[in-house]
Amino acid sequence: MNWRVLPYSENDAYTNMAIDEAICESVAAGGPPTIRFYGWKPGAVSLGYFQCIEHEVDLAACEGAGIDIVRRRTGGGAVYHDQDGEITYSVIASETAFPKGILESYREICGWIIDSLALLGMNAEFKPINDIIVGGKKISGNAQTRRNGVLLQHGTILHSVDVEKMFSLLKVPDEKIRDKMIASVKERVTCVRHHGEFIKHETYEALVTGFTKGKEHAAGQLTENEFLRANALAQERYRKKEWNWMR
Amino acid sequence: MRWEEKIPGGKLVCVEVTADGETVAKVRISGDFFLHPEEKIDEIERSVEGLPLSSGEAEIKARIEAVLEKAELVGVSAGDLARMFRKAVDG
Repeated sequence: MNWRVLPYSENDAYTNMAIDEAICESVAAGGPPTIRFYGWKPGAVSLGYFQCIEHEVDLAACEGAGIDIVRRRTGGGAVYHDQDGEITYSVIASETAFPKGILESYREICGWIIDSLALLGMNAEFKPINDIIVGGKKISGNAQTRRNGVLLQHGTILHSVDVEKMFSLLKVPDEKIRDKMIASVKERVTCVRHHGEFIKHETYEALVTGFTKGKEHAAGQLTENEFLRANALAQERYRKKEWNWMR
Repeated sequence: MRWEEKIPGGKLVCVEVTADGETVAKVRISGDFFLHPEEKIDEIERSVEGLPLSSGEAEIKARIEAVLEKAELVGVSAGDLARMFRKAVDG
């Protein structure tokens, strides 16, 4: 299997989700399995497919800070994607390239992240269902969907983290315990920068190496069809209130 | 009527039930769990709608499990959702 690797690029939230879906469609039609790295410009909150937007997101705070909000096609939790603080990836390939079991396929792809973090001297572990931890603290969250014979897994790797900012945009279950909750999240979340003086590009290079290790691969780009389809999907789905406010 | 719960393993799930007299008019399940394929969530919700509000946990669970013959729920189970439905209704 010859993987296409799409190098890091930054897009708005709607375009990012639309590109992942456009690639899924092209893989379903016989296109190459793809590893993609990306960032969010402006910063954004992505919601899991089943989450209630009003329960999860401080809408006024996001609007005030110029933060986009998009619902993902995958389940899982709400994520604040800081423009500088994280790297997102997607892996899109035929389902047959991965174990049939959902947990086992998470474990396999998360293994690539674990290999990448090892290059930066970190001893990371897979924590089912969909997290990666270092020293007991979460450094990466991941989400998967399967459709038309295609597996999409996307996720984020925290390079640096600002928990206060995260919870100025995400809602806390109980305002009375906001400070306590932030303190507790700080105890449970880590990032690459907590483990060394790495710049974001070093984190990215480690990810490229870890993801492509032992695979036939070549750097590539979106085809014109994928690009046009992504633009259409961004307009028709991901920018639409009907989609983002579905729940 | 609403019940939110942290499921062992870490997923936070919320079941909201709207009644029309003694009948379940609407069910809304939200949270950070996974379901493949995702759209089956509508079918899960609809499978409970129209039932008597007094329906037992076993009945609700069976309805949800019937939908799950063609879908896979990850991070929460049909039994959890049925229990949460009763909690939402019973308070």
